Amino acid sequence: MTSAAFIVLLAATLTGYWLNRRAAREIRARGERLHSLTTYHGLFAALSVLVPVLVVILAWLLLQGPVIDRIVLSGLPDEAIANLDVNERSLILSEIKSIASGRVFGTPEEWKLAAADRLNDLRNLSGWLMVAVSALLSAVILFVTRRRVSAGFRARDAVERIVSGLMIFCSLVAIFTTIGIVLALVFETSKFLSMVPLTEFLFGLNWEPQIPIREGQIAAEGAFGWVPVLVGTLVITVVALTFAVPVGLFTAIYLNEFASPRLRAVAKPVLEILAGVPTVVYGFFAILVVAPAIRSFGASLGIPVSPNTALAAGGVMGVMLIPFISSFADDALSAVPRALRDGALALGATRAETMLNVLFPAAIPGIVGGVLLAVSRAIGETMIVVMAAGLIAKLTINPLDSVTTITVQIVTLLIGDTSFDNPKTLAAFALGMMLFIVTLLINVLALRIVRKYREIYD
Amino acid sequence: MVDMAAMGTTMKDMHQTDRNPTMTEPKISAKNVNVFYGETHAIKDVTVDIADKTVTAFIGPSGCGKSTFLRCLNRMNDTIDIARVQGTILLDGQDIYDPRIDPVQLRAQVGMVFQKPNPFPKSIYDNVAYGPRIHGMAANKAELDDIVESSLRRAALWNEVKDRLDAPGTGLSGGQQQRLCIARAIATSPEVLLMDEPCSALDPIATAQVEELIDELRANYSVVIVTHSMQQAARVSQKTAFFHLGQLVEFGDTGEIFTNPRDPRTESYITGRIG
Amino acid sequence: MTDLSAPSPNAPRRERGTAEIVAASLPRRRRKQRLLQAAGIAAIGTAFLVLFILIASLVSTGWQAFRQTHVTLQVYVDPAEIRAERLPRGGFDDVLTAALAELLPGVDLKDRKTRKKVEGILSNGAQFTLRDMVVADPGLIGQTVSLTVPVSDPYDQLAKGLIDRQTPEINRRLKDDEIAMFDQLVAAGVVSRPFNWGLFTNADSRFPELAGLKGALMGSFWALLTCFVIAFPLGIGAAIYLEEFAPRNRFSDFIEVNINNLAAVPSVVFGLLALAVFIGWFGLPRSAPFVGGMTLALMTMPTIIIATRAALKAVPPSIREAALGIGASRQQVVFHHVLPLAMPGILTGTIIGLAQALGETAPLLLIGMNAFITSAPASPFDSATALPTQIFIWADSPERGFVSRTSAAILVLLGFLVVMNAIAIYLRQRFERKW
Repeated sequence: MTSAAFIVLLAATLTGYWLNRRAAREIRARGERLHSLTTYHGLFAALSVLVPVLVVILAWLLLQGPVIDRIVLSGLPDEAIANLDVNERSLILSEIKSIASGRVFGTPEEWKLAAADRLNDLRNLSGWLMVAVSALLSAVILFVTRRRVSAGFRARDAVERIVSGLMIFCSLVAIFTTIGIVLALVFETSKFLSMVPLTEFLFGLNWEPQIPIREGQIAAEGAFGWVPVLVGTLVITVVALTFAVPVGLFTAIYLNEFASPRLRAVAKPVLEILAGVPTVVYGFFAILVVAPAIRSFGASLGIPVSPNTALAAGGVMGVMLIPFISSFADDALSAVPRALRDGALALGATRAETMLNVLFPAAIPGIVGGVLLAVSRAIGETMIVVMAAGLIAKLTINPLDSVTTITVQIVTLLIGDTSFDNPKTLAAFALGMMLFIVTLLINVLALRIVRKYREIYD
Repeated sequence: MVDMAAMGTTMKDMHQTDRNPTMTEPKISAKNVNVFYGETHAIKDVTVDIADKTVTAFIGPSGCGKSTFLRCLNRMNDTIDIARVQGTILLDGQDIYDPRIDPVQLRAQVGMVFQKPNPFPKSIYDNVAYGPRIHGMAANKAELDDIVESSLRRAALWNEVKDRLDAPGTGLSGGQQQRLCIARAIATSPEVLLMDEPCSALDPIATAQVEELIDELRANYSVVIVTHSMQQAARVSQKTAFFHLGQLVEFGDTGEIFTNPRDPRTESYITGRIG
Repeated sequence: MTDLSAPSPNAPRRERGTAEIVAASLPRRRRKQRLLQAAGIAAIGTAFLVLFILIASLVSTGWQAFRQTHVTLQVYVDPAEIRAERLPRGGFDDVLTAALAELLPGVDLKDRKTRKKVEGILSNGAQFTLRDMVVADPGLIGQTVSLTVPVSDPYDQLAKGLIDRQTPEINRRLKDDEIAMFDQLVAAGVVSRPFNWGLFTNADSRFPELAGLKGALMGSFWALLTCFVIAFPLGIGAAIYLEEFAPRNRFSDFIEVNINNLAAVPSVVFGLLALAVFIGWFGLPRSAPFVGGMTLALMTMPTIIIATRAALKAVPPSIREAALGIGASRQQVVFHHVLPLAMPGILTGTIIGLAQALGETAPLLLIGMNAFITSAPASPFDSATALPTQIFIWADSPERGFVSRTSAAILVLLGFLVVMNAIAIYLRQRFERKW
């Protein structure tokens, strides 16, 4: 039915365009002078139909699922669902849905089969209603807009107003997205905090989210103190930056001051390739090459190295950050006015002295901003650590040990589990909330530093 | 703005005091210098001798190559990738483009002051101390203090900044910044001081101070100044070179050039018909 | 002013001239400079080296997966085992085993252990290939057909030399007698190693020799298509508004800050958004490329907006003034003149954004695009994996054969990225205008 609705929409849009343009042409043929071109009259009708009907269809598609679910649930016999909590109800609902789509396992109760039939009927009805409503709405709009065609009608102004509105809507999507992120995180996190006290989450030293999901299952009670996860994240971030900052900075310094144009022409694309490699590839690289190499190196020295050492994950993450830091540092160094460089050289400073004593100090604010953005990236980076870091939250700062990170926990807690009502899944959202807050603060700070720095020299 | 008569008399005085060009060896001697920026032929076959303890002015319309030529004298053109320099330039008889010469050493001997004041974003003290520090000219802090003080004194800035040597150099006024840059340049005791339109970013009062300073620096240094202001050239220099379209058109005593130019192009420029 | 006629009392008296002092300091300073340069070269060298190792390790493990060991059998479709009326059921595996045993003199199929070993040579998928053939043409029953089917993963590894025959038998995946059987097949000339089309035409499978990327490629295609359809118009609309029409006030500043921050939000957070809002609240299907595409669109939009604004900014104001001067409205100016001129830049930015989206993994994991799905999606609403999530799944699989498949999949992904970026660079160079 969805495609039928879209066909109605398309047909109505084209009809509106054609009808109004023809009407406008007829007026012009009578010798009257039109305010707007005939095309604009057509566009006016087309847009007037397209926008509201599309909104109706999309809203219908989004809302029909939940509404139908509710109707079906409320139609269930009272004795069947009287004493059930939300969790069990949604289980029943999904069973009914799978019956409705033809997958019957075992012999379900009679009322479930009835409910499945009702579900199918409702879906059918909803589909037809959607088509009917959009057809009716289209017709009304077509009629109204057709009546507005006249020589004096400012169709172009009207079209431009609609287009302006659409463009403003496009710009608002960014805000909607942010609001969506914040709402989703706040909502799920508050559910989490109703089960786990905030102080335990923020200051607890144990992270053992594997809690019993079924009744009677033997598992740990579950502990949700994020400190070890945070420490693990920081360990890996520090490892990554210890590698990436010097390499990135020296790369930028060399490319900016010493490199021949030929080397620059080769090095820049190489760095861009490093920056463009998807992180899942780096993750595989870490488990395929780096981790075994570190382990055998450790073994040759007689040091015990865990298989998912923080060093491997952090080191590979460092590789990912090299181009990031070097390009920021390169920009910052290039932004230092040439006059300062000339001033130092004219005093007889060597190029190294010019770089280290004048250019680099002058560029430090910009470089610090870039490094901060790299920190935020390292904290939020997911695939490398999911593949190469550990799962167990261990409170340690030893980079040869296995640690876990915020993003690893988010992914492992959510893979293969969708119910939003136990602390295990909700904990992922709480971690996501912390991740969002931390990276947002760092980003805002970094962008502010970088902008301030640009203002100094612009 | 300029009193021509008064200028004439000062110039005459200078002639009497210290003009004997034929007797002394030139400090800098340039022969058949050509400069190319990529495809552009910026300097065409320039030959000129620059005397010691003299102020030499390069004048000419903008784009005539006077700054480019100045930058050849301490190899600042090396820092521009596409620039090529041909010909010979001798400093005390030594070819400065000799591959064995390190531009670093050369630039310590041939200091430079730029068009726009460019103090480092460091303290006043550190700005002046920078050259002596990197070249290892001071054995200890006291010596360095001495160098900084005497350089600031010679740049006529000491009295204004002696109480705030730790303040950032970028916080000074434009004229003070330019004198700071001069102090920075003379702190390494160069033998030649190149000045690329040092007053173009300054107000008239600051300009007067810097010009006075240039006249005093003449006692110890060979000063080469690029200027687009003929009045300034007339006020501060003893020798003047007129550049036009990359060529050195005329070179001689400042008084001669301004009162009795030999080349018609020089005359047109001085009388304001080109430039 | 200072008195210059007499040397200032503060001036240091130097026995040596500037030139000498500087010359004395030069060796030390040159050493320092060389040190800095060496550090720089070492840093760049590190970057080069890592990239080289990365590519080399992927190619060296991955190239093998582009070939697949097959064995060609003359299969007698025994009517005793396969009867037309029972199709599609039948003893297809027994028929194949018998055909294989023909080539292995001295093998006793009655011995159950031996029989199992013989069965193990062929891929599990071989019987289905035969079944599909017979179902399509039941007339084959009672005839002998020539069939080329993949061998199972351990033998594939053996044929590619990835199993070392020198390893003590106990540590080897294939025992001596199994290797002997395979050598017999090789000697019989029935083993071949053609290009592995299955890598592109098969969907995922539990068996490495059968696993292919078709499902992942289709999933990525649908997701990118959705992403493009949503993000391209929205991004351009937003960019035009912000660049050409928005009044400079707090509100548009707020939008700008928002866009810049969105560009830096970790990708996994977008996954959380999609999971909670698209799947949790709106009830959209899990694992669907459509949902993945919507998520990727939200992440790609800032990139497109920023690129579009840069492209619009690069169009000189004189063009706008010229069009305004002949009485065009501001929107006409933008849509008739500015936007077409900015299009190459916009497309370049969009392609680069889509290339980033193609490699994005974390948000797709959270919305379940890492499911094990053995058929390619026919529409964006079917469950599917995507190229990067498929890499993640294979990288996690314990079978040896998946290591080279993973590398091969990565090479395919990198190939797509190279092509997309090459198109972007071509567009930029072909249509770049200097104003």
